[in-house]
Amino acid sequence: MATVGIIANPASGKDIRRLVSYGTVFDNQEKVNIVRRIILGLSAVGVARVLYMPDYYGIVPQALDGLRREDKVSLRVERADIELTADQQDSLNAAIFMRESGVGCIVTLGGDGTNRMVAKGCGNIPLLPVSTGTNNVFPGMIEGTVAGMAAGVVALGIADGPPAVMPTKKLVIYKKGQPVDIALIDAVTLRDRFVGARAIWETERLLQAVVTRGEPHNIGIASVVGNIEPVTPDSDEGMSLEFGTEGRLVLSPIAPGLIVKVGVKGYKKIRIGDEVRIIRKPCIIALDGEREVEVKEDEEACIKLTFDGPRVVDVKSVLSERVKKWAGERSKGWRINGF
Amino acid sequence: MKTMTYVEALRDGMRFEMNKDPNVYLAGEDVGIFGGCFGQTAGLYQEFGPERVIDTPITETAIIGHAVGAAASGLRPIVEIMFIDFTGVCMDEILNQATKMRYMFGGKAKVPMVIRTPCGAGVGAAAQHSQSLEAFFTHIPGMKVVMPSVAADARGLMIAAIRDDNPVMYIEHKGLLGVEGEVPEGDVIVPLGKADIKKEGSDVTIVAWSAMVGKAMSAAASLEKEGISAEVLDPRTLKPLDIDSILSSVAKTGKLVIVHEANKTGGFGGEIAALVADEGFDYLNAPIKRVTAPDSPVPFSPVLEKAYVPGEEKIIAAVKELFA
Amino acid sequence: MEVTKETLLGFYETMVTIRTFEEKAMELFAAGYIPGFVHLYIGEEAVATGVCANLTERDFITSTHRGHGHLIAKGGKIDLMMAELMGKVTGYCKGKGGSMHIADVDLGILGANGIVGAGQPIAAGAAFACKYKKEDNVCVCFFGDGASNRGTFHEALNLASVFNLPVIYVCENNLYGISNCQRDHMNVSDISDRAASYGIPGVSVDGNDVMAVYEAAAEAVKRARKGEGPSMIECKTWRHRGHFEGDPGIYKSAKEQEAWIKKDPIIKLEKKLLEYEYASEDELNAIKDTAKERIEAAVEFAKNSPDPEPEDVLRDVYAD
Repeated sequence: MATVGIIANPASGKDIRRLVSYGTVFDNQEKVNIVRRIILGLSAVGVARVLYMPDYYGIVPQALDGLRREDKVSLRVERADIELTADQQDSLNAAIFMRESGVGCIVTLGGDGTNRMVAKGCGNIPLLPVSTGTNNVFPGMIEGTVAGMAAGVVALGIADGPPAVMPTKKLVIYKKGQPVDIALIDAVTLRDRFVGARAIWETERLLQAVVTRGEPHNIGIASVVGNIEPVTPDSDEGMSLEFGTEGRLVLSPIAPGLIVKVGVKGYKKIRIGDEVRIIRKPCIIALDGEREVEVKEDEEACIKLTFDGPRVVDVKSVLSERVKKWAGERSKGWRINGF
Repeated sequence: MKTMTYVEALRDGMRFEMNKDPNVYLAGEDVGIFGGCFGQTAGLYQEFGPERVIDTPITETAIIGHAVGAAASGLRPIVEIMFIDFTGVCMDEILNQATKMRYMFGGKAKVPMVIRTPCGAGVGAAAQHSQSLEAFFTHIPGMKVVMPSVAADARGLMIAAIRDDNPVMYIEHKGLLGVEGEVPEGDVIVPLGKADIKKEGSDVTIVAWSAMVGKAMSAAASLEKEGISAEVLDPRTLKPLDIDSILSSVAKTGKLVIVHEANKTGGFGGEIAALVADEGFDYLNAPIKRVTAPDSPVPFSPVLEKAYVPGEEKIIAAVKELFA
Repeated sequence: MEVTKETLLGFYETMVTIRTFEEKAMELFAAGYIPGFVHLYIGEEAVATGVCANLTERDFITSTHRGHGHLIAKGGKIDLMMAELMGKVTGYCKGKGGSMHIADVDLGILGANGIVGAGQPIAAGAAFACKYKKEDNVCVCFFGDGASNRGTFHEALNLASVFNLPVIYVCENNLYGISNCQRDHMNVSDISDRAASYGIPGVSVDGNDVMAVYEAAAEAVKRARKGEGPSMIECKTWRHRGHFEGDPGIYKSAKEQEAWIKKDPIIKLEKKLLEYEYASEDELNAIKDTAKERIEAAVEFAKNSPDPEPEDVLRDVYAD
């Protein structure tokens, strides 16, 4: 039975960047609305079951409640049986539960931070990330209806493998030789001691960064790389940067509406498997835009580039493949779900 | 002395204090360029600018609430509630905040603010724009309530209200706004809590306030022709009430008629009657009479509204009952 | 954001003082020394501490029925507070206000408030006064998740926004309006989302992380001082006790209780302080002992203070 997981993070897009820059206001009613469109998309292509991450707000149940009567969907909607903690741990626990339940695809609603948590638990299950966060590189702005259809096609097994489902890179953070966390886009060290309000906005505190990708159209620290020497998501390289005002000044959009000159002292391309040592300590490592890992003066820490990030659905390719398959099936006299 | 209408006089009172004290400002719905619903604030916006004559959104709760905060932080707001009927939507700010702060804080806060608001029927505005709700506010410890009946008092009470360190309900009657009178100029106040004998008399005391003062005066003139000498007393401030002046008058006349436009039950007339019964029972040689609106909402039809508002003839009839 | 060891130890001291004060109030209430209602702040200490650390004596706050923490964090004197809780004449309000009405206008504390949501327009007014006098001081309005359902919230935020007032609305979302869980009293999960309707920025932070609160408040206060207008910070937190003392809190599950107790803001900070070697276990204990001593002294002061005289009833109704 084709099952799709939905992880809609109620807390994405609320952080301090709304205060210090012009962070998007993505309220939960809109997330409910997007989930409705995803469910309708899933239902239309014939997905039988949805497994969702519960939250205190009840994004998915509210989405179902608000469906018009004539839009009654045939799929079964079930709650992932996890204990709620009302923090980012929920996304991870839900991803693990979904992986263990054998879902065929997971749709995430959130930003880079949400996807990072999901990536820690989803294993080989393809992700379809829909952006609802503040600074996003990993998820794209995709219409929910289409995202639902694409996720359904993947879960039904109609499309898999490149170009429909693409591998991604990942950074692994090591402390004293042990992997402690990951990042999908960037790991940035800051002259800070506390996680605090999590987001990054004070560029004068930047020390070092390692990125899996960075293109000029990105936002956040990835944009700095994008504006020096772009690294594409599919290339087998990353970049290591050191910040400092004595270096080159790179005009970069580091948060919504916040375009600043970031001083880059040095940078170099790195290869898959390379490890970058963290030199300036104590520091905080921000992972995909959120301050997460604290590194003390005497702690050995490094960041390693790998290619075993989550597999990600390319909506365009998936839906194109589906059309190609239909053409073949129609010629055999098949019909899929009313088409 | 200068001839002014009631509305000009109350405006001149605000202007006088605003010129004198930079901490005085005016805020309310349409008090700015529009000049107030009845022209009460006309010209002040041009004179003092948008920083001191402030148009608020339609937001009675925030109008009173913000004034409480501003007053407690050192300003002297004059805030307008467009019709006294609308105090229903900001009663917490009046009842539990403005008037309670000082006491609750052990006397360590001052809340000098004036709530200016029009009352009264007679303009065909029906039940939600015509009431006389003064008794509500007299029931709140911490509140002062003034109700001028003539232009001179409108100005003098305004200045006194602004200078007072307590919340003051300044209730202006819509029907009086255009009435002219002689008004003293300069720094002349009418102290709060001081009644005014509008006409001396020896046979009966008529206590009336706001628009009822005029009607009581006409009634007294008619009664005079019939040989009844009525004393007309305008308390001007209901809280604090100048009960001593009322008692002295009743001591002289032995009879008391109280006239107000508000509904009878729970009206402030009942309070005055009780006070006089308590402290001046021996002066009385007749029952105390009240002439008030009936216990109904204010009706719309001019015919019904006329029947609702107490008139001269009702006052005369009530007085005559005491001499029957 | 740069935060020194001294700042952090200061946070710790304030939070511990609040906790100790509240635990003492709990004990005194149970023993019958405190009449009326007492609403305790235990579990929410990081919010008042992190916010007020950005304020000076010239700045204003409006508080709530659960106000002891705000007062202590804003510099309120604990002996006068304790005496007020016991209704003594030496108390902040000469025994006329009690727990729900403590104020210190000289310190910019415009009072705890017994009416949920009433502080919101009052805070706009204090901020209006700051702006009117062309000073760079600001006002912080503390309120709860329940209060964000009041009409005052709408009117005050709208007014603050259109007048561009230097006010910071700090929502202490402790998940409950008395016994009503947030999901049963509103259909939004993040109260900060509501700010957008007024055209002001709203952010949500971990209200049990004093650093997160401090940082967000620092930005909001900075913004207000520069004349850039109001903002809202929602601090997600949880009250450990019932709505008031005597409320057993049967509407909260044991599991929920367990999860939140683990996130205790004081323990969280304590761990950091030790981890960073900003203080030793002994030094932290010394801070706790000092707080205890101060509060014991306040209790002694209060207990030994006279009651008001019956004729005081009529004093302070009006200013002369």
